[in-house]
Amino acid sequence: MSPQVNEQELPGIGRRFGMECAEGGSAVVVIHHSGRRDLYVVTPGEEEPDCAVALTDAQARTLGSILSGAYFKPAVVEEMEAVIGALLIDWVTLKEDSPAVGRSIAELEVRPRTNMTVAAIQRGDESIIAPGPDERFEAGDRLVVVGRREDLSGFVRHMVG
Amino acid sequence: MGDPLVGLGGAFLAAGLLARLGRRLGLPTIPFFMAAGIIFGPHTPGIVLVDDAHDLELLAALGLILLLFHLGLEFSLGDLVSGGRRLLAAGTIYLGLNVGGGLVFGLALGWGTREALVIAGAVGISSSAIVTKLLIELRRLANPESRLILGIIVVEDIFLALYLALLAPVLGQAQGAGETLAVFGRAFAFLVLLALVARYGARWAGKLVGSGDDELLTVLFIGLAVLVAGVAENLGVSDAIGALMVGLILAESPVAARIQTLVLPIRDAFAAIFFFAFGLTIDPVDVVEVAGPVAGAVALSLGLNLLAGLIASRLHGFGRRASANVGLTILGRGEFSLILATLALGAGLDGRVAPFVGAYVMVLAVAGPVLAAQSGRLSRHLPQKLFGPASQSGLSA
Repeated sequence: MSPQVNEQELPGIGRRFGMECAEGGSAVVVIHHSGRRDLYVVTPGEEEPDCAVALTDAQARTLGSILSGAYFKPAVVEEMEAVIGALLIDWVTLKEDSPAVGRSIAELEVRPRTNMTVAAIQRGDESIIAPGPDERFEAGDRLVVVGRREDLSGFVRHMVG
Repeated sequence: MGDPLVGLGGAFLAAGLLARLGRRLGLPTIPFFMAAGIIFGPHTPGIVLVDDAHDLELLAALGLILLLFHLGLEFSLGDLVSGGRRLLAAGTIYLGLNVGGGLVFGLALGWGTREALVIAGAVGISSSAIVTKLLIELRRLANPESRLILGIIVVEDIFLALYLALLAPVLGQAQGAGETLAVFGRAFAFLVLLALVARYGARWAGKLVGSGDDELLTVLFIGLAVLVAGVAENLGVSDAIGALMVGLILAESPVAARIQTLVLPIRDAFAAIFFFAFGLTIDPVDVVEVAGPVAGAVALSLGLNLLAGLIASRLHGFGRRASANVGLTILGRGEFSLILATLALGAGLDGRVAPFVGAYVMVLAVAGPVLAAQSGRLSRHLPQKLFGPASQSGLSA
């Protein structure tokens, strides 16, 4: 049976997720709208958390993959995500309000600003392989991106918003 | 042009350096920005960076507009609805006690009815900036009562918007019933128009300011916010509410998330000038004269906050420590109280209101976080019998 997660809205801040731990006590994660995560650990019988750390989006993802046992078996990370050494290949989907929508690769200065490369764009049934600098992004585009893992969150911020 | 620039640069630096000192002690920035205005203003000996608050009038107004624009942008009615009735009840009880108490206190001072209305809002409404920051810094976001605190803050924000809308026409210098009604009518029509735009025209407003380019987006949303604030002021609705409505409108547009990020640094800079300029208007001699009322208001707020915390916690079945956390955390007063005091200054109300609110904010903006940090120890002095036997707190997951 999977453990029960207690989920709550924190008005103006984000969401709070709480879970009972194996030997009593609980772990609480707060995900801010800004992407910041707070991790709180509470020992049994205590009213306030014993420790709390703040994590960036990238740190939280890494910690999550360590906890889920995926970190040291990079080949099986996520269905769509592949890591070969330091190299990462991932899929990113553009939303309707993404900053990249309506702008070209050249205008966005994708490579100099994010250190990542858009290797292909899947647009509906159409696949654009190795898009040129004048290729304009549209909402709903699925991008195949290649780069270093640590640059992915910057890329997502720049392109997807 | 040299002297005004030296004054302005000095104002930024003095405010920033003083507030940095405060941050080291874990205190919020607002009272220190204001203190910088007092210390380097015309009413105290020593260096005078800016002679007259009017020299900073336009920039301070920009700060006020951006503060409320951002509030509108972050407004989350959805959050409140999902929070359910108990959050709404807790917020309403809090406001009822604090604004009601503030109104009675304001009337008892005998400075006038309009003055009492300003004091009621200034004493009754917490600073969302100070409270939210405090919860994060005290690492209490995981506590069950923190959700209650944030819910109360959301209710207070909404109340502030309504209160500002109602207060501006009341404060205006309308002569006679006919003119007052005309001002009310005009203000009301303008607000209805903006509300309709917020409901149906957000896409259109988003198109007006929207641009893929961050630079252009910034220039355009600031233009819209300042323009509507100015029109609102001219119609007797107050620039504050105009800016807030523009924020509400753009919050529904596709570019909302980007504006939220872009507005922050500009808001922070000009809000600091707003607080500094408010400090410039304060003469410490006047503060000494209102010391009695300030002490009374501080004591009143402390008492009413603890009571509101107690009732809200009973409602949710929290214990004595959570109750103290609620009451002491939302004690922080800041930007909203000062905005209301600025309205009073603009409307030419009793000259004692501004120093009174300034000193009151100064005391509570500092005392609030200090007391909240010690709430665990302080809560042991609350009589246990006020809390039911079942109110064993402790963090549930």
